[in-house]
Amino acid sequence: MPELRRDPIVGRWVIVDTDHPNHPKDYEYEPHRSHGGVCPFCYGNEAMTPPEIDAVREPNTHPNTPGWQVRVVANKFPALQIEGELEKRGLGLYDMSNGVGAHEVLIETPYHNKDIPDLLNSEIESFLSLYCRRALDLAKDKRFKYIMVFKNFGAAAGASLEHPHTQMVALPMVPKNANEEIKGAHNYFEYRDRCIFCDMIRQETQDSGRVVLENQHFICFCPFVSRFPFEIWIVPKKHNGLFCHMPAEEIPSLAAILKGAITKMKALFPNLSYNFLIHSSPVNGDGHTDGYHWHIEFMPKITRVAGFEWGTGFYIVSTPPELAAEYLKKAKI
Amino acid sequence: MPELRKDPIIGRWVIISTERAKRPDQFTTRAQGGPPEKDCPFCAGKESHAPAEIYALRPEHSRANAPDWEVRVVPSIAPFLRIEGELERKGEGLYDLMNGIGAHEIVIECNKHVDNMGDLSQEQIAKVMNVYIARMRDLEKDERFKYVLVFKNQGWSAGGGRVKHSRSQLIATPVNPKRVKEELVGARQYYEYHERCIFCDLIQQELEVKERLVLETENFIAVAPFAARFPFEVWILPKKHSCDFTSIDAEMRLGLGGIMKKVLAKLEKGLNNPPYNYILHTAPFRRGKAGYWKSIDYDYHWHIEIMPRLTRVAGFEWGTGFYICPLAPEAAAKFLREVEV
Repeated sequence: MPELRRDPIVGRWVIVDTDHPNHPKDYEYEPHRSHGGVCPFCYGNEAMTPPEIDAVREPNTHPNTPGWQVRVVANKFPALQIEGELEKRGLGLYDMSNGVGAHEVLIETPYHNKDIPDLLNSEIESFLSLYCRRALDLAKDKRFKYIMVFKNFGAAAGASLEHPHTQMVALPMVPKNANEEIKGAHNYFEYRDRCIFCDMIRQETQDSGRVVLENQHFICFCPFVSRFPFEIWIVPKKHNGLFCHMPAEEIPSLAAILKGAITKMKALFPNLSYNFLIHSSPVNGDGHTDGYHWHIEFMPKITRVAGFEWGTGFYIVSTPPELAAEYLKKAKI
Repeated sequence: MPELRKDPIIGRWVIISTERAKRPDQFTTRAQGGPPEKDCPFCAGKESHAPAEIYALRPEHSRANAPDWEVRVVPSIAPFLRIEGELERKGEGLYDLMNGIGAHEIVIECNKHVDNMGDLSQEQIAKVMNVYIARMRDLEKDERFKYVLVFKNQGWSAGGGRVKHSRSQLIATPVNPKRVKEELVGARQYYEYHERCIFCDLIQQELEVKERLVLETENFIAVAPFAARFPFEVWILPKKHSCDFTSIDAEMRLGLGGIMKKVLAKLEKGLNNPPYNYILHTAPFRRGKAGYWKSIDYDYHWHIEIMPRLTRVAGFEWGTGFYICPLAPEAAAKFLREVEV
């Protein structure tokens, strides 16, 4: 009998196929392939991108020239634009606003073909530190209410460029999905005076068999209510609402667990495309932030989302998270 | 400057991206092969290759599972939910769960090996609608179920199967799904404030403005919604207010067959057989019991949402629930109006 599970935070139900679960070999997915060609994110092509906003570079090198390890530029095709005041207006029934916001691209490494598992821990640490530095800087702009950090790796996961990069979008409002999660966590907090994520960490470490990796500061597990098979979350053990307030000593732990998790994932699914996103509290005082706990959600792109999911918001998970965790635990780093 | 637009019913924002905008004719799709017709388990004469039928439209005196059917419903061979058993709810620490009771049926829309619904006749599509209604009414009798979702996954990247034989699916769920609830609640809130149906207002506004109108027939309109999530997203709405799809009469069913055929044919011709999903949005089972607000007859309006899958949903959409649509719905509507079918 399949099992219906309900997400304790946002109340979403998912269907978990416990009778005939899929094993990693059962997934038919589009493998990530490198097509080469001229890449605006490689050394020597700095002039092809908008000017550099921030970078980690060798001493005595100049902005927009080679010599960087991590580089942040404005998105050449931004979904939102930085200039202007937010103007909201109505149009009959409808509401609209101009697209004020920031859209930046963080190029994680100068190496075109190195994904996170191929980088040194220190290299990962340096781009994670830059995530925080950029987010802190964007948060100074009072027009922005939410900063969303996400990575699309591989064309199947929506990446338009193959050189590894992360995107950062600052939004003038707290988006619906984030808002639901923040409200759900807030309601739980009001009721029990505890953070739901802290409770979740306690429950996961006690029984579950869903924990994949754990180190000094972070825990990585397959959530009880996964939306996608082999979905994993990486959560800091110490309560903290905003990822950009992450203490410096946690960064090496995060780099290690992120690298470990993606390495395991790619051992099960060669040439995988994936998305991950950082869920964090709003900035500039919008919304309920008590009882929210920042974390990373990682989704391997091995399934297709179809009409049922769109129509219901119900997800069908063809590998129970307990089984996924078992595979991931065994996978080699 | 990109534009943010808000869906007036559920409050979802979308970004109509003018910077990365493409022209309508730049959305191309690749044709994908499927197994040969002789291996199709859904064609007439192959009834034994699919599970025994639950329901079929057949001539009088024809027997179940004989090959002379017009529309046929079989259980899914890989059901998401199971029909047998009692619903049991329980908790596990923080978490809630229940067993996966439900129904999962496949509606085979024609007995010949036709891939696209747009290539069926208006009358045939109306028959498919009849079958949806018959199945929904039957499933309503099962008190364990709260909602039936009727949908189609056309093409591989829309979650469809490899076999190119036109079909749709029907899933009965033991709880009202979150998306459905959001829409119902949004419509009710609008009604409480305005004492009008938001969909009726939307139809009126679209008929006045016209720029997002794809097609208008006697009983229906097809529009590219103001806050479209996907390029070429099209909604089909009945002009006459009704919350319940199963209540429409024979004339409306025929009219729906006609507009579905035209809209799907325009998508097929204009975009070269794009993968798409369509979803029927209708009121949940009410059964005259408590738990449903009395105004649902007035505040909700059934409709069909068609979503071509030409863009990939990436991290941003998953994280925010914000969609980035690289084509303004006004441009999509104009393009579709001009495709001759």
